[in-house]
Amino acid sequence: MLIMDFLSKKAIAIDLKSSKKEEVIKELVDVLIAAGEIEKRCKNKLIDALMARESLGSTAIGQGIAIPHAKSDCVEKLLGAFGLSKKGVDFDSLDGEPAHIFFLLVAPQDSAGPHLKALARISRLLKDKYFRDSLRSATDEKTIIKIISAEDEKKI
Amino acid sequence: MAIVTRKLTVKNKSGLHARPAALFVQIANKFDSRITVKRDDDNEEVNGKSIMGILMLGAEKGSVIVIAAEGDDAENALTELEKIIISEEET
Repeated sequence: MLIMDFLSKKAIAIDLKSSKKEEVIKELVDVLIAAGEIEKRCKNKLIDALMARESLGSTAIGQGIAIPHAKSDCVEKLLGAFGLSKKGVDFDSLDGEPAHIFFLLVAPQDSAGPHLKALARISRLLKDKYFRDSLRSATDEKTIIKIISAEDEKKI
Repeated sequence: MAIVTRKLTVKNKSGLHARPAALFVQIANKFDSRITVKRDDDNEEVNGKSIMGILMLGAEKGSVIVIAAEGDDAENALTELEKIIISEEET
């Protein structure tokens, strides 16, 4: 599985404004709605599901990365949004570092496999510091897609 | 120092997803031993004290993994870590 298999090209936010966990999650859900990937009526339920997941344990996995995720009836296949926070967000990461890079994942209700594969793929690519740094220094959406696509191709 | 290993089958219904991975890493970090994990069908070793490392394995239910620990508390570390891998409960 490649990142570009599930990441919506239209759901990229390179300048997240919020500095709180719930606000950032709302911002990323809004990005998916603005991209036309999910319907507006799904918004509140999806935010609740994402926050419920966070309450079980933070999805910040270290190295400035967070992967908020939840299952939802609003998608038929795994869907992802990308977000970048310049100043960083306190996401209750185990390593105590603020989160700068966000991959928000929404999986269909009855799935388990694709979500596990997506987590594995994101971790595999993002363990590369150079890749993380180039994402963090990107200044527009196109560059993000270009960087991720190139890395996807490099590591199949 | 000797390296002790344990080969285990993942029992968790959803595999080693983010929550069990975080739990695994929290426990691994309580020990001084160096801890690595690999899939039995692959040679790539990941750091057992990094969530990203564990997630990289993409270990689904039924997959076989090998945990290796090296250090004075290696045996204890493996005993604790094994509990997470063979737990059938959703964590």
